[in-house]
Formats: sequence, C-alpha cells, structure tokens
Amino acid sequence: MADFIKHPVVGLPDRKPDPVIPADQLHFSDEEKKQIQTWISRYPTADGAVMRALWLAQEKFGFLPPEVVQLVADELNIPYANAYGVATFYTQYFKEKKGKYVLDVCTCFSCQLCGGFDMLHYLEEKLNVHKGETTEDGIFTVQEAECLGACGSAPMLQITNGTYVHNLTEEKIDALIDALREDRMPAFTSVTLPQDEDELGGNRRSDVEHTEAYQAGPVSETTR
Amino acid sequence: MPTITIDNQTFEFEGQHGLLQFCLDNGVDLPHFCYHPAMSAPANCRQCLVEVGMPQRDRATGEISTDEDGNPLIQFMPKLQTSCSMQMADGMVVQTHRSSELVKRAQKDTLEFLLINHPLDCPICDQAGHCPLQNQAYKHGPEGSRFEFEKVHKPKHIDLGPRVVLDGERCINCTRCVRFTREVSKSDQLTIIERGVKNYPMTPPGVEFNEPYSMNVIDICPVGALTSKDHRFKARIWEMSKTASVSTVGAKGSNCYYWVKDNQIMKVTPRTNMDVNEFWLADEERLEYRKFNEDRPDGPTVEGAPVSWELAWKAAADCLSGVDGSRILFLGSAWATVEDNYLLAKMADAVGASAPVYLPHVEEGHGDGWLRTDDRTPNAQGCERLGIHAASAQDLKARLEAGEIDVLYVMEDDPVASGVCSVADLAGIKVVLHHYNTTNQTLQAADVALPAAMAVETVGTFVNVDGHAQRLRPAKAIAGVNRTLSMEIGKCRADRHGTPFDKWYNESNLINCQPGWVALPAVAAALGHEMTYKGPKQIMEEVSASNPAFKGATYSAMGELGVRLESTGVTA
Repeated sequence: MADFIKHPVVGLPDRKPDPVIPADQLHFSDEEKKQIQTWISRYPTADGAVMRALWLAQEKFGFLPPEVVQLVADELNIPYANAYGVATFYTQYFKEKKGKYVLDVCTCFSCQLCGGFDMLHYLEEKLNVHKGETTEDGIFTVQEAECLGACGSAPMLQITNGTYVHNLTEEKIDALIDALREDRMPAFTSVTLPQDEDELGGNRRSDVEHTEAYQAGPVSETTR
Repeated sequence: MPTITIDNQTFEFEGQHGLLQFCLDNGVDLPHFCYHPAMSAPANCRQCLVEVGMPQRDRATGEISTDEDGNPLIQFMPKLQTSCSMQMADGMVVQTHRSSELVKRAQKDTLEFLLINHPLDCPICDQAGHCPLQNQAYKHGPEGSRFEFEKVHKPKHIDLGPRVVLDGERCINCTRCVRFTREVSKSDQLTIIERGVKNYPMTPPGVEFNEPYSMNVIDICPVGALTSKDHRFKARIWEMSKTASVSTVGAKGSNCYYWVKDNQIMKVTPRTNMDVNEFWLADEERLEYRKFNEDRPDGPTVEGAPVSWELAWKAAADCLSGVDGSRILFLGSAWATVEDNYLLAKMADAVGASAPVYLPHVEEGHGDGWLRTDDRTPNAQGCERLGIHAASAQDLKARLEAGEIDVLYVMEDDPVASGVCSVADLAGIKVVLHHYNTTNQTLQAADVALPAAMAVETVGTFVNVDGHAQRLRPAKAIAGVNRTLSMEIGKCRADRHGTPFDKWYNESNLINCQPGWVALPAVAAALGHEMTYKGPKQIMEEVSASNPAFKGATYSAMGELGVRLESTGVTA
C-alpha cells in the first residue's frame, strides 16, 4: 500500500493476450467437472461456485490466464466477464505465471510496526529480486501483502496462499529459503495466545503438532 | 391507505415502492449515482442515504407507543439507510438532507470520498455541464478536498470498443454500465476489475465492447468515464440546443433528442418514453446523423440548373400537366411524414392518377426484437394506414420497362439506388424528385429536383411499427422564412436556443430546402389545384378526422410521447 501511494499507477490489463495454456490441455477432467457440479448444487445460482472453481483451476494450471478464466466461466455457464471480475478482485488468484513458491510478506499495520518491511527488504536482497518479481530460477516470487490476519505473531509471511511463517527473523528466513529450495514445506504451526499457556500445556489446538507460544513484545515506557 | 412521512410531509401510497423512486416521482429530490429505474439497486454509491424510522410498538400489546401529546414515537434505524434499496412501509418516517443534519453531513462526506481520486479535469471533460457528480458536488459536496496526496492514476482514454471510450480515473464505480450489459442488453461484455482504489470497468481480455446498444452506457454514466468516440471534444453541452423528436433510423421510432450547434446535428441521445424505447437508443440511431448535415442540396434545380423556388414549382407542374393521370407514377416515401404522404395522395387523386405506392426498405435479419427493426424506415406503418402500399422494385421496374409511365413523381426516396431502374432507363420519362441528399442517385435523371426538409427540419408525424403515432419537431432551422417552423422551434426548445429570437442565432449551415407540406401545395397550386393548409397541424387534424386508422392522432393529443393508434390489421 505504501508503495501504491508513491507510485499510484494502475495498469491496463493486456486486452488481447496470446493463450499460454495449449488447447489440448485446456479442459477439466471428468472428476473435476463432477466436483464443480457438486459445488454448484450447493448454491442457489452457479455464480456461487465461481470462487471454488477458479481455485480448482489455479491448482490445476498453476495460474489463471484469460483462457482458463473462460474455461471456468463456460463450465459454470456464467458470463466470462463475471468470472474475470472475480479473478481480478482477489490477489490470491494469480493472473500471471508466478514462481513455484510465492512469498507474501505482510507489511500491513502490525507487521509494519514490528519490522515487516525489514523482512521484505531482507528477502528481496537475499533473493536478488524486487517485490512482485520472480527469481531467475523460477522458484520464488516475493510479494508485499496486505493484512493476513496474524497480527499477534507479526511480522509474518505466507507461502503460496497456504502455510504461515510467524515471528519472522532474518535467521528464520534463511532457514525457510534453504528448506524450500529442498522442497521441504514448513509444517502448519498454531500460535497460541498467552492466556492459553496454562491450559492444555499451552496448546488449545490439540489437533496440531506444531505450536509456538505467542511472545509478548517489550512494552514502551510511555504506555506503561 | 398506507402513508409515509418524508421531511414532515405525508404522502399516501399503494403497493410496493422503492423509497428513492417514490421520492423522485413526488418531487423530493435526492442525490444519487448508482440507482437507475431500469436496473437493480446495488446501493454502492452511498449517496442517497436517509434517516428511516418506524413507529415504536409496545412489545406486549403490539400497540403503537405514543408520547404524552398522542403522537407516535418514532424509532429510527441506528444507521443511515440507502433509500434506493429501501422498500416503503406503512407509517415509515423519512428524513432527508432537508430535515436532518446527519444526512446532510453523510452526503457531503460521501462526495468527499468519491472525489478523492476523481481527476479535476472538468474543463476538458465532455460530461461537464450535465454531470451528476459535478452538479451534486456543487449542491451537496464539501467546499474543498482534505486529501493532499497524489491521486491514484488509472488507464485513460481506452478504446473499450468501436464506439465507447473509457477514462478509468473519472469512474466512481457505480456499476451502472456493468449492470446495463448484464441486465438490460444482456451482452455481459463489461465487468469491474481489480478492487479498492484500483478498480474500474473493463471488458475481459479478448472481448471488445461492441454490442449494438453499447452507447447507452455513455448516457447512464453519472461521470465522464464513458464518453462517445464519435462526439468526443466536438461540442460542450451548453453550446447545443436539444429538441425532443423521433429517430428516423428504424421502424421502432425511438424517442430521442437532437442536439444542434450552428444548425448542424451534433449528436442524438435517447428520450424516455416507456411505451416505445424506455430509456434506450440503439447505436445506429445515434450515429446516423451525418445525413442531416452532409451532402445536402442548395436550392431547387431544373434540368440541373439552379432556379428560384417559384420557377421550380412551375416546372414541376409543367411535367404533370397535360399528361393522362394513368401514365403518372407517384412514389410516396416511408422516410416522409404522414402529412406529406397524405398531400401526395391528394395530389395524385387530383390529377387522376392511382394512389401512390412506396418502396419498402427492409433488411431481413437486421432487427433484434428490441429497438432495431428489419424495416429501416420510420414511417412505413403511416404510409400503409394512408392507403399507400408497398410496391416491390421488380413490379415498378416491369411497369417502367413496359412503357406505361410517362412521369415519375418521387417524394423523398431514391428509386435508382433501390434497384427500380437505372438512370438510363429514365431517359424518356419526366422525373420530379423531392430529395434529401445530393448523393441521391436518381438526381442525375431528375428533370425537376426539389430539395426536401429532413425529419430534423420539419413538423410532422411518424407512425411506428406498433402503431404509435409520434410528432417530429424541427431541431434546426432551414434557409428562408417559414413562420410555422420558427414558431415550432421557439415552442419546443425551453431555452429557445438557436431560434431567430435569441442571441445565439446564426445563419451558418442553413439548408435551402422546403418541407413537403410547403412544396406539394405549391406544385398543386401551380397545376391549378387548391390545397391550402395553414400548416401540418391542420393537415393532421384533417387526416385524423377523415381516416379511422388515425383516429385521435391530433398534435395536441400526441404531445411529447405520442398516441397509440388502434390496430387496423395492416402491417407495414
């Protein structure tokens, strides 16, 4: 957002892009079609299933070029324009090809105060890319993200619309990058709140293996 | 009957009403952007906020609670409500910006939000002068902006399609254009892309905004985000006069305004008539206005040589006199008004010829069941009701080739271009031609050519495909003095702009032509037949009184919105 204030320019989408998915691959399998029909049956109109269907398409094709959005629209029998509007609304739908791992570093309010930009810049320097860019080997894309709802464990980042990495430090980023290069995805980690620490051994989420206790930061002299 | 109190004034109502529409219908003006009566109310501009309350009811008894004076206690909803999406209920109490400081403040703040990223380019914006955002910012908005950062920049002057240009920065995301393509024209070519401050309307990749009704989004756009490629930077709104009239492009007779500057039609926009075209106008009806400005003749000619009107009437009469009536072919026109066709039929009768016929201009498959029709003429139904019937080009060709015709009297049509005959075929035949444009191919064969006033320069009546009789009003002046036309121009323009009575009057681009209701009586007079009328109004009175197919179609009855004539079973 801060960058957007400095360079407040919105781009025009490519109006006549060449297709990137070969025509012979551009279809859903019977199983996927059946899945989409199940989703459609859960809503009063087919529009309701557009987000799940787009998500399925993104998992299948990696990203959502216009021809894939068209495919989803045709499958749901809704106007192409509707599906395209939904796809552009959410940053989690990738409209262009991204790296294998997309690192969304939160720089929104809480993370910014706790060093979100330091983490972003460290990552940019370490991978030698600017935010929004993909490394030359095509493994990492670094992005700046708005609030991801984990302010308690700020600063944090998210890996490809999935796993969160909490309480970021430079060391943690180093370890994360090394692990991802070896395709070792960090496990889901539940961050518990301080008041939980006395109960259940500090972990209310008995269903997850990895927990990390919330660390209360130092409180400023003036607020004390 | 249920009642509603708006600004301490009580109204009675029946049935289900949206609050905003009810207010607008009853003269309570409320600012709004996204609401349009023909489309769903998404309530996303937040400009029509009002305070809404209902009488408080005692929970135990269900009785309406009253204060010590016996007045019902009103429980207002905790937040302001969007009046566009609010359904009215009995006993409802509404406070608008006239009675509520809170509403006033909310409208002002909403406008400040809408204007945060809106560019200050009103001086070069085509919408300036008739821009709801501009008007409402003056009326209800803050005096200045507190936003001191650089504004968000979005794509500007983007070709959305062949006829519509987008300026993304001016857009306030009311979604009227998107809802138009989704709900009214059903082309689904537009959507809002991106989110938050970055969003603007766009076609999806690979799609062009080219539907045949695309230009309607220009009218419903409450800002200058969507403008007409054709009219861009041509004229400011206050430089033009507008005249309520009828489109000439199809048989639907869509109601429209003709916008005139310096006696030239600059653009055509829709005029609301719920019986005919509702709020809309097809693109073809907006763009076919150059025929009114370009290739217009300058005065009458006899054998190609310019002459005075008096000599031209005489020459036309000479062509007709002394010829056996059965050897004269009168060609009426579905482009011409009912009045003019009626006079032509009268003249044919006077010289002993059979009733005129007209050439149909039907393009199969052009119509879409909405505003575009297969028939490309505005008055075929009017001709049929007058007893002037369609004649195929082949039949006429056969009659010409058989040598049955000595004189061809053509009113406002082009038999050569319609394939009736070639110029060479007309060599031995006298041709009198009332024509609109110098591109008329019959002109080369015409012995007497009489330039005719077009639909934007005359007074008259068209009957549309459904039998709706509607009046034409003169949008621009013609050369020469005609009291009836001047009076009509003065009457039908509220601002009297461009009439001889105002300071804007100018003499550029005046076409030297005559309306049919002047030309035909003049020719008839030269022939020795009296056809004296004070003007088209009197002609139409005679038609409506004498012909049951036009019962009730007088000028006063037709007014602005026309009269639905009784079905006669005739189809054009």
